[in-house]
Amino acid sequence: MFLTVFLLCMAGLVALYSASIHVDAPFFKKVVGKQLIWILFGILSSLILVFTQKKILFNGAYIFYWFGIVLILSPFFIGSSMAGTHRWLVLGPFHFQPSEFMKIFVILGVARYLSKNDLVISSFRSLIMPLLLVLLPLAIVLRQPDLGTSMIYILLVFPMLIWAGARAYHLFIIIAPVISILTAFNFYTFFIWVVFVLIVLYLSNEKIWLAIVLFVLNLSLGFLTPVLWNRLKPYQQNRILTLFNVEADPQGSGYQVIQSQIAIGSGGIFGKGLGNGTQTHLKFLPEQHNDFIFSVVGEEYGFIGVAAVLILFFLLTVLLINTAFRLRDRFSSLVVIGVASVLFFHVVINVAMTIGLMPVTGLPLPFLSYGGSFIILCFILIGVVWNLSMERSR
Amino acid sequence: MFYSQNNVNEARRNIFLLVIFTLFVILGARLYQLQIVQHSRFAGIAEANRIRVVSQQAPRGIIYDRNGNIIAENKSQYNVDIIPFEVGKDKTAYTTLSEILNVSEKEIQRRVKKNWRGQFLPVRIMEDIDFQTLAELEERRLELPGVLYSLEPIRSFPTHANLSHVLGYVREVNVKNLQTIKDYGYRSGDLIGWKGVEREYESVLRGKRGFSYIQVNVFGQEVGTIQDKRSVVPEFGNDLYLTIDLGLQQYAEEILGGNKGAIVIMDATNGEILSLVSKPDYSPNLFSGIVKSEIWDTLRTDPDRPLYNRVTQGIYPPGSTFKLIAAIAALENNIIDPKMKIRCRGSFKLGRRTFKCWKLTGHGKMDLHDALVNSCNVYFYNLIRKMDIDLWAEYAKKFRFGEISGIDLYVESPGAVPDKALLDKKYGVGGWAEGNKLNLVIGQGDLIVTPIQMARFSAALATNGKLCAPHLGLKYFNREKNQFYQFNPVKSDSITDISESTWEFISEAMFEVVNSQTGTGRAAQVKGLDVYGKTGTSQNPHGDSHSWFIGFSKDNQQVTAMAVLVEHGGSGGGEAARIASKLFKYCSENLNRQRFVSTKVNDIEAK
Repeated sequence: MFLTVFLLCMAGLVALYSASIHVDAPFFKKVVGKQLIWILFGILSSLILVFTQKKILFNGAYIFYWFGIVLILSPFFIGSSMAGTHRWLVLGPFHFQPSEFMKIFVILGVARYLSKNDLVISSFRSLIMPLLLVLLPLAIVLRQPDLGTSMIYILLVFPMLIWAGARAYHLFIIIAPVISILTAFNFYTFFIWVVFVLIVLYLSNEKIWLAIVLFVLNLSLGFLTPVLWNRLKPYQQNRILTLFNVEADPQGSGYQVIQSQIAIGSGGIFGKGLGNGTQTHLKFLPEQHNDFIFSVVGEEYGFIGVAAVLILFFLLTVLLINTAFRLRDRFSSLVVIGVASVLFFHVVINVAMTIGLMPVTGLPLPFLSYGGSFIILCFILIGVVWNLSMERSR
Repeated sequence: MFYSQNNVNEARRNIFLLVIFTLFVILGARLYQLQIVQHSRFAGIAEANRIRVVSQQAPRGIIYDRNGNIIAENKSQYNVDIIPFEVGKDKTAYTTLSEILNVSEKEIQRRVKKNWRGQFLPVRIMEDIDFQTLAELEERRLELPGVLYSLEPIRSFPTHANLSHVLGYVREVNVKNLQTIKDYGYRSGDLIGWKGVEREYESVLRGKRGFSYIQVNVFGQEVGTIQDKRSVVPEFGNDLYLTIDLGLQQYAEEILGGNKGAIVIMDATNGEILSLVSKPDYSPNLFSGIVKSEIWDTLRTDPDRPLYNRVTQGIYPPGSTFKLIAAIAALENNIIDPKMKIRCRGSFKLGRRTFKCWKLTGHGKMDLHDALVNSCNVYFYNLIRKMDIDLWAEYAKKFRFGEISGIDLYVESPGAVPDKALLDKKYGVGGWAEGNKLNLVIGQGDLIVTPIQMARFSAALATNGKLCAPHLGLKYFNREKNQFYQFNPVKSDSITDISESTWEFISEAMFEVVNSQTGTGRAAQVKGLDVYGKTGTSQNPHGDSHSWFIGFSKDNQQVTAMAVLVEHGGSGGGEAARIASKLFKYCSENLNRQRFVSTKVNDIEAK
């Protein structure tokens, strides 16, 4: 695990080095130098966590959680809005993003709840509390606004629920209304979705009245959504659209994604070599230090390079899953799954974005992307796993 | 243990692993598609992203006169461009620039705005700076980041002759004309010959543009050159030699002076134009590069129309010079006995109308010869009464009046020779009468000609009917093959159905016009040179009559034909003949024309 993390960090540093090769500044003022410092900070924080007693993590989970909520609320009150957003907290020379750290607090909180001794996970009722634990920070971060991060909150909870033994049917009931709303704008997709809901409900052996209620609920949501949407004033529609589009496409028509695909595609099998990526150095590639660092790797090291990075991430995820499987107590196991989910979704969403399989959401790539808060979070996650995995295997 | 047990089974873990594996495989497959399957496509786009092709204008070929004197060559023009982003960084840069260029800051800002292409792309703020300004810019380079100067070849004209209507001018290809000439490789912003020989011989004179490749970043900022793509050096156009004699041209321009008018001097035996003047003219230097709009407007709105080539586009009644046509027609068809005398009392009555002779006291008794020498109107009034209008028109058309001469200068007016059909069309059948004929015979009325037609007319008279197409292009030098080429021989034609005796008669009369005591063209006399001619006075509604002189000189083997027109120059014996005399004299003293013998005849389509 440490080797994969180390290699990923190295890959990130090399890519950042290349991206800042022409910047005329002392090493530690450059992106790559700063990133190195952040990594050292990250290692430090993971070491602190390794030597933190597991009891503190378990018992303090809810306290941490509420502490996190206060943190993500604070940018709204401590005036430091940058371009109308409330993501950053300024502490002296450091700007940090509390919403990043909230990820670990959500993991701990949900894991703590799901590892209650008397919890009957197969009951629908026991799913409500974890969802509330997620929806609260999600609502706050959406207002910051930061769609990508809030998406991670909701995404990380499902694997944890499944891992804890929740019934797939219950999860389906939770997700169904959201899909009903999203599909409602196109008749055919909505029709297919409704048929699908019917089949699932039929197979589920659900009490008949409940099944009818659920079906009618989804159906009416689907019908009402377009009606309500059209009732909204254009500026209200816009406000909602901007919420979901906040990072996407500042220059229009998928420019970023197109340039990113060109960068990756032109890399070929072996890439153009360190410092030779024209897309990178001539700045056709946007956000190359952060969200599109993967494209830099793709352009300069080609298929070999990106395959290596993806294999490392795959190995890391598999290692985490196996660790979670191996651990004897449910809390630790769930935390590790939460960590695995966060890292995995970041990787998949980020990479899918750079190769044009998903819209731009602005999620960074773990260990590679530049960014203090996020890199420290990644190390904290690793530190937590490290700590928990030190218990004897079952 | 206060922790609850982990109760995950292996099946659940395997589902997790399977999902993870599947998603990674999807990502990997997409990467395979992008980087291996579609690699060449994306590599191409990436290249196109970074490479900008900078083209360099090629210098046009040099234009020489027939003796190898340079008429038009190229010089380098230095232009000042700035990169707004770089200059904008330093507040004082604009002030410094304005000091050096001697243009107000506001004006610089205005030009920047006008030519704006992006804050990282060069913007032209000044053209054609002198060497001192350039040196000053170079000196203060460190204070002026983002200020560039570029070099462009433009025309320069080392001679004192203007030759404006011969040379024409070049201009920038605009989007509108680009549609029609794109196939020839022109691009927006190229210079193309637009008028004159610059236009006619565009294919000879045009150079081949060069290219260089530079690497640019996403903002279009230049970031170094590209090693693996060779740049192409611009190629000179081929050199053009004109039939013009520069010395004679300069002299002719000088002599016509401030008069409005036209002069054409050509070799009567082959149609080579030795001099072509249309006044008022303008300095070709105004058109050396891209023409400024102020200059355009001045030239275009000038009431004297300097842009208009009077030689080919100017239409005038020919006046008495046209009596030669009536004389030839009469002689050929035995309409009149040339020895028969007619008395001129100064006027001629037709019905209730009186037609005057220019000599109001009358010429007395005259035969055809005398009538030509003295240019007696009354004689010709009598003559035309006996002649059918179509016969007269037929002879005018034999000399190619009423059609373009085919000179290699773009836009030529055909003029008009009225015959029955035309008059019927204009006035209606029966709407015109003998009176019209009387006007036509003395070269007035609906008859209109251009000076170039008149020059060819005199050349035909000089050579007993040889009709050479007048032309300006002599030969060109192909730089690539290092060889001279001649243009396709211009078609020449002859009038064969006019008898020797008629030519002789006309020739004698024209000699007398210039050399006899009473000849109307006495002013054209040159001591020791045989000058033949005919004067003309064409009345016009705009003021004083235009003064015409057409004629030729025979000097050993050299036969020089000439047409001189002075607008509002009074009667033909005066201004035009005096000018012709000086020019004939110059020709006989200074011209020793060598015939060009082509080393190879190449069938170039000049155009």
